[in-house]
Amino acid sequence: MRSVTLNIRLFFQGALLSYVALFRWLSPMTYLASKVLMPLAQILFFSFLGMYATGQANASFYVIGNAIQLAAVSGIFGVTMSIGGDRWEGTLPYLFGTPANRMAMFVGRAFFHVLDGMVGVVLALMWGVLLLGLDLSHANPLALGLTILVATFSTSGMGLLLGCISLITLNVMFINNTVYFSLLVFSGANVPLSTLPAWMQSVAWALPLTRSIAAARQIIAGGSLAEVAPLLWMEVLIGAIYILAGYFLFRWFERQAKLRGTLDIF
Amino acid sequence: MAPLNAIEVRNLRRIYRTTIGVIRRRVKEVVAVDDISFDVAPGELFGLLGPNGAGKTTMVKMLTTLLIPSAGTARVLGFDVVDQADPIRPRIGFIFGGERGLYWRLSAIDNLRYFASLYHVEPEIARKRIPYLLELVRLDGRGQEKVEGYSRGMKQRLHVARTLLHDPELLFLDEPTIGLDPIGARELRQVIRNLQSEKKTILLTTHYMFEADALCERIAVIDHGRIVALDTPEGLKRHVRDLSVIELEVYGIPPELLDVLRALEVVEAVTVENRDQKQAVLVQSPGGSEAVPEILAALSGLRVGKVIVREPTLEDAYVRLVGGEVEP
Amino acid sequence: MRKLTLYARVILASAEMSVRETMTDGFVVFGIFVQPLIIALLGLWMLRDRGGDYGIFVVVGSGLTGLWSSLLFISGNSITHERWTGTLETLVGVPTPMGVIVLGKNLANVLQSIGSMAVSYLLASLLFGYPLTVAQPIQFVISLFLTVVAFVTFGLVIAPIFVMNPDVQRWQNGLEFPIYILAGFLFPIALLPGWTTPISYLLAPYWAAQALHLTSSGGGTSGEISIAWGMMLLFSLVYVLLSRTLFRVMLRKARSEATLGLE
Repeated sequence: MRSVTLNIRLFFQGALLSYVALFRWLSPMTYLASKVLMPLAQILFFSFLGMYATGQANASFYVIGNAIQLAAVSGIFGVTMSIGGDRWEGTLPYLFGTPANRMAMFVGRAFFHVLDGMVGVVLALMWGVLLLGLDLSHANPLALGLTILVATFSTSGMGLLLGCISLITLNVMFINNTVYFSLLVFSGANVPLSTLPAWMQSVAWALPLTRSIAAARQIIAGGSLAEVAPLLWMEVLIGAIYILAGYFLFRWFERQAKLRGTLDIF
Repeated sequence: MAPLNAIEVRNLRRIYRTTIGVIRRRVKEVVAVDDISFDVAPGELFGLLGPNGAGKTTMVKMLTTLLIPSAGTARVLGFDVVDQADPIRPRIGFIFGGERGLYWRLSAIDNLRYFASLYHVEPEIARKRIPYLLELVRLDGRGQEKVEGYSRGMKQRLHVARTLLHDPELLFLDEPTIGLDPIGARELRQVIRNLQSEKKTILLTTHYMFEADALCERIAVIDHGRIVALDTPEGLKRHVRDLSVIELEVYGIPPELLDVLRALEVVEAVTVENRDQKQAVLVQSPGGSEAVPEILAALSGLRVGKVIVREPTLEDAYVRLVGGEVEP
Repeated sequence: MRKLTLYARVILASAEMSVRETMTDGFVVFGIFVQPLIIALLGLWMLRDRGGDYGIFVVVGSGLTGLWSSLLFISGNSITHERWTGTLETLVGVPTPMGVIVLGKNLANVLQSIGSMAVSYLLASLLFGYPLTVAQPIQFVISLFLTVVAFVTFGLVIAPIFVMNPDVQRWQNGLEFPIYILAGFLFPIALLPGWTTPISYLLAPYWAAQALHLTSSGGGTSGEISIAWGMMLLFSLVYVLLSRTLFRVMLRKARSEATLGLE
């Protein structure tokens, strides 16, 4: 019982810490800009490009895809930063020295970024309604909310995995940026998946976001929660797989570092 | 016509303003250099000696045209450091202690080639000069390696090579040996001696007394932004010639007791040095060994080990000048 | 004349140094090569449904996105970066004017980005099999040259602004996509609401996109092309003049407020 309380506290401390750290390199104004203006610009760019390619009628296809894709901003960049931060601060050896439950420590850091990512997606959809004529009147709010939650969950899982990779490699931002931009292609946000080559489609279905975007499009078109439930369950599963992969990589990394005495290098 | 002095500093001041507090902003002023005047003759090796934060680096930055004085004037090679920076820059070289300020992803040779072009050194001259300089600072054979793999001492020696690329008449070396191990520091001092023999004018700052003693022809001791003494090393030693130093070995001394010592008639200055588990209390006194009983009486109750009475060194002169607030 | 040779040498040395230093920098490699290539890929895929020959349009447009991003992030940070590495003090203390050094660094970035445009050209022709022909090759080369000039000189303006105003620099991320949109890199600005058109006209990247698209895809009148060229030259001139003042102010400010170093 005591250990549960301890781990819960650890979880929230980690969560809080990673958010405070985020604000230290992002002032409140910058945060607002990165939360409100940047997403808008990105959605507009790809939506206009999409409309130029396939006509105004398809606007909502691009708006929804790119809005859900924004979950990856918090999921990938936010989460990676909060893990990679330890390496830059040199606090990693101290973390490894603690008896703390690694899972609680690990997932706690992602927690606030899930909330943060959800806010980002909701804001993005609002931009879509305001500026690009997105129609949410047929959407089941509960189902849409769940979809957004699931999307941020699964991208945060990927973020945890990438964060652990960032502990090993030097070029964190290179990997993050490349993954983020690749998701723009693979997630189906901007290109209908059916038009991609078969191998790319297989990759797409192994990545987070793909199912969330498909589900969001169905819901906004009037689909019910029951119809998209299989997609969402699979998305949760994918998120969980990424978290586990990240967790085991983290433990492996910790063991290797202790075995080889390379903690200080990282 | 060459100016009479390589450096002329008159009543130079520099104030830093920093704002503190987020909500209630207050402006805090720090006087880093406070009314300093001195001259450096051509070919002289002149030392600025003082504890950390005494204003040495600020002084060097003003003389190298990187910082504008708040008041007073400074002329370098006859030119004003504020308005005539352009003719000064090609004729001086400068290094600030530490390992930053190089392109770590590039090799030493690439760094030197780049700075050579920034200093307008003709490519064919640079080609000959770079190997010579690498040899001078004992980096020959390692020039192709990336700087990021260099030790701190190697980086600092590379800085010396960098600043000699354009063969400047006047060199500013700000704490060149800071953070080096004893061997690295000794090697660098040898490089500086070689430069001196090439008749270059050098202004060196340091907080190591022995370094200033070993290298400089004249030393200005500065503390809290002011010059507290300006003399040859021998002249500075004369400040303490009439004193003796009494070293007392103790095992932890409470600060109150130091104040008791300082209040004694026979005591001029007191400092404490940490030596492993022990401490050494250094008392400067005109009384010599005759003052020992009085001092021991004042420390009654404290366990005192070895007691030595010795002649003062330049270090002691320095301690006395900056009021005992030097670092060990 | 001697001064000109000296400066030309510094520009080349700075450019070479910048390339050597940044080729191993993941951030730069991403900005210059990976991001524009992914955008090119996306663009080719998305515009395929529109039919017609959009290969060269996408190659030029995505190349321009890379050009703009590298200018914004790499050239924009060129002075700040020197401050972080601790080399800024040394650079200010050398006899070469700071602007000449920054010019060399910008030139390297812009040329690298143009190189990435060439890579996406190959990608589009080999992977997608587009027949990539440039409609007016000579005019295209002239446009490319003027684009380089306009971007390099614009870099001279943003670097001192960013270093003097950290608050502005924090908005850097927010300046990337809006220019992609307003400059019409990958879709005509006619799609945008009318009130944004004057903003586009004030952007050198818009005229660069105009000139490059018109001369590569074809269909532009010589009048349209000349206007785009003229505007790029005009902006370049304005940028050069503006940058002289900015650099003077920046160096004076740094020397009096002691902000060259990081301590």
